[in-house]
Amino acid sequence: MLPLEGIRVIDLTVWFQGPVAGQHLADFGAEVIHVERPQGGDLGRGVRTIKAVPVGDWNQYFLVINRNKKSLAVDLNKPAGREIMAKLVRESDVFLTNVGEDNLAKWELTYDSLREVNPRLVYALCSGYGQFGAKNKPSFDMTVQALTGIMARLGEPGQPPIYLGMGSGDAVGGLMCALGVMLALQHRRKTGRGQLVNASLYGAQLFLAAPTLQAYLATGDESFAKQQSRSDAPNPLWNTYAAHDAWLFVCATNTDEEWSTLCQTFDDDALAWDARFDSAEKRAGNRELVAELDDRIGQRSASEWTERWRAAGIPCAPIDNLAALAQDQQAWANDYFLKTHCEEVNREVTVRGLPIGLSKTPGSVRSLGPELGQHTEELLVDTLGYSWEDIGSLKEQGAIL
Amino acid sequence: MSGALDGTLVLDATASFWASLGTGQLADFSARVIRLEGISSTIDSAALATPAHNELANRNKQSVRFDITRPEGRRAFEQLVAKADVFAIDAPVASAEEQRLDYKTLAALKQDLIYARATGFGPEGPGRDLLALDELAAARTGLMPVLPQPGQPPVYSGAGQVYSSVMLALGVMLALWHRDETGEGQVVDASLFAGNMYGASLDIQAFLAIGGERFLQPVSRLDAGNPMSGTLYPTSDGLWVTLTMPDTDRWWPGLAAVTGLDEHDACFDSHEKRCETYRLELIGALEESFQKKSAAHWREVIAERGLSADVIEAYSYAASDEQVLANNFIIEQSGSKALGFPLYMSETPATLRSPAPEPGEHTEAILREFGLA
Repeated sequence: MLPLEGIRVIDLTVWFQGPVAGQHLADFGAEVIHVERPQGGDLGRGVRTIKAVPVGDWNQYFLVINRNKKSLAVDLNKPAGREIMAKLVRESDVFLTNVGEDNLAKWELTYDSLREVNPRLVYALCSGYGQFGAKNKPSFDMTVQALTGIMARLGEPGQPPIYLGMGSGDAVGGLMCALGVMLALQHRRKTGRGQLVNASLYGAQLFLAAPTLQAYLATGDESFAKQQSRSDAPNPLWNTYAAHDAWLFVCATNTDEEWSTLCQTFDDDALAWDARFDSAEKRAGNRELVAELDDRIGQRSASEWTERWRAAGIPCAPIDNLAALAQDQQAWANDYFLKTHCEEVNREVTVRGLPIGLSKTPGSVRSLGPELGQHTEELLVDTLGYSWEDIGSLKEQGAIL
Repeated sequence: MSGALDGTLVLDATASFWASLGTGQLADFSARVIRLEGISSTIDSAALATPAHNELANRNKQSVRFDITRPEGRRAFEQLVAKADVFAIDAPVASAEEQRLDYKTLAALKQDLIYARATGFGPEGPGRDLLALDELAAARTGLMPVLPQPGQPPVYSGAGQVYSSVMLALGVMLALWHRDETGEGQVVDASLFAGNMYGASLDIQAFLAIGGERFLQPVSRLDAGNPMSGTLYPTSDGLWVTLTMPDTDRWWPGLAAVTGLDEHDACFDSHEKRCETYRLELIGALEESFQKKSAAHWREVIAERGLSADVIEAYSYAASDEQVLANNFIIEQSGSKALGFPLYMSETPATLRSPAPEPGEHTEAILREFGLA
């Protein structure tokens, strides 16, 4: 059994932030209907390359974030198309969208118009900059991440700012939106009324910066906002180091006890007696200490260090690449990866799995993203009560695919 | 105005920043969250164990301290569990079992309890008992080596744990929904590893499907796949501009106009030429052009033209941005600025009702209110 069985979601979204919000709900059993324009559908269907590398024979960008969904291809620029949507709104629990306000107004799909039609509807917006304020410009993951300040503080001083990775902002915006939908559904259970939920890229990405942004806001200390060299780590024992074959993260607290334990893992005992480093205060932010550790750690392999440090009870990990992750037994054991059948290429493929575990009602991947309009007829006939003659006429008008 | 989670009682035995931030999001939407001090102990980096982090993660909560190793403390604790909807914990699974704080023990006190478990690497597998440190989870996720420019050290952002915290809150909401439909409680799992992996979704999925060196090594910004999207260009005054214009046909005339490039230049007059044939030439031309003017200039022309681009700002920008303040993304809390509420709800908005409690501040009051011990 899936927890959201019986919840119907209209998913009028494109690209990543909106679709991934719908994906969370679909993974847990909601009937999520991805509404697309008949001409080409969701823009995400058009992705041909990722990082300039061709996507290959299946478009994993689109198919994974739209898994477990149905596709309804309807032209909202046509009156008959808008009528289909109006009927669907009456039969749905959630309306989820990340299309622009101008289109929503043109298609009569604003919150104010839909709440009239269905007062129980949860209306969830994935926006760029939030519910209030004057900012009204294109919003994409990375341009909004640029405004938060998190990019500017990453990397070695003088290096370009650093983006947190493809889709990193959309991912948190979409996740936040799914949380908002669940909060609103829970409220509706008690009151019978829906409401407007707005999860923005800007708000969600500021939250993503919480570990350092919160400290900056509370103290005004500019060091949280600026690039900081790893050579200036506040605690050199909690830092990245290059072994001769790979980088490592070591996370020892700056106490005399842990320092002494760490020193015992080195081949020589010079550091243990070095008066430059003989108190927590002297070690903190000490560039010379980072240099000494660089020298020593660079002489052996990552696996030698992790073995020694783990034996000594010092938390550490090699800094893996994606090839190592793909083989990581821990990720597989927890269903963070799953294998599923891909219709498009008629073979089993590996997909991102289920990051949230529910012991009795776990999510699942039942199908990858649908073909454009794959469920149009089924939805029109079974859910909305159209006849087959109606369907013929709607097709003729170009209102559906 | 009512809150979305009015009447929901969460017992919060978490100590780490990310797990407490997860239950904190339930508290912001008016769940009654009572912290149980002294059950878990944090292993966070010192950078996360500051008063500011405590204010964000634990605002709107109450705090009690029971000594559950003593019979009367244990009894009070168990009476409270019997009234709770949710129990959240971030102690290692083995330690929770030792303290008789595992799901089975607590579900015997409250049959439909939701048991929210925050771990480092998930409840299964050989790494289930590894320390729950975001740094170690990030190191294992595969993205740290590819974030910087080639030849630079790997990059740790700290963002991974924030995805995990929202997942903990979302998982609890899904379980609450199911409980209210069926009367059945269950275990909810969120982990630092899962959150970090989710934040890296597109890179991971592309690598799984396509593979190849380009996902394993850093890609130079001067070798970007699309010169107009996901790129960084320096300004004359040491700041940076970033562009996101994936459909270059739509944006090229506007971008050409502001950068002084010729819109009809035969090298750049189609998407294919811009992104394939003359990709590196276009990157070079844009690099040269952006370097000629200041960030202030670029801010102005980007806004004028409504281009999908922005100057890369520092934290000071958001801290005083009217858009941020209008949306309560940043608020005043306990006399200083703090992160506010990323999620807007029209009928049940998040609220700041109380600052983070002193540990144990409400022990007496809650003992009395619930008639415990």
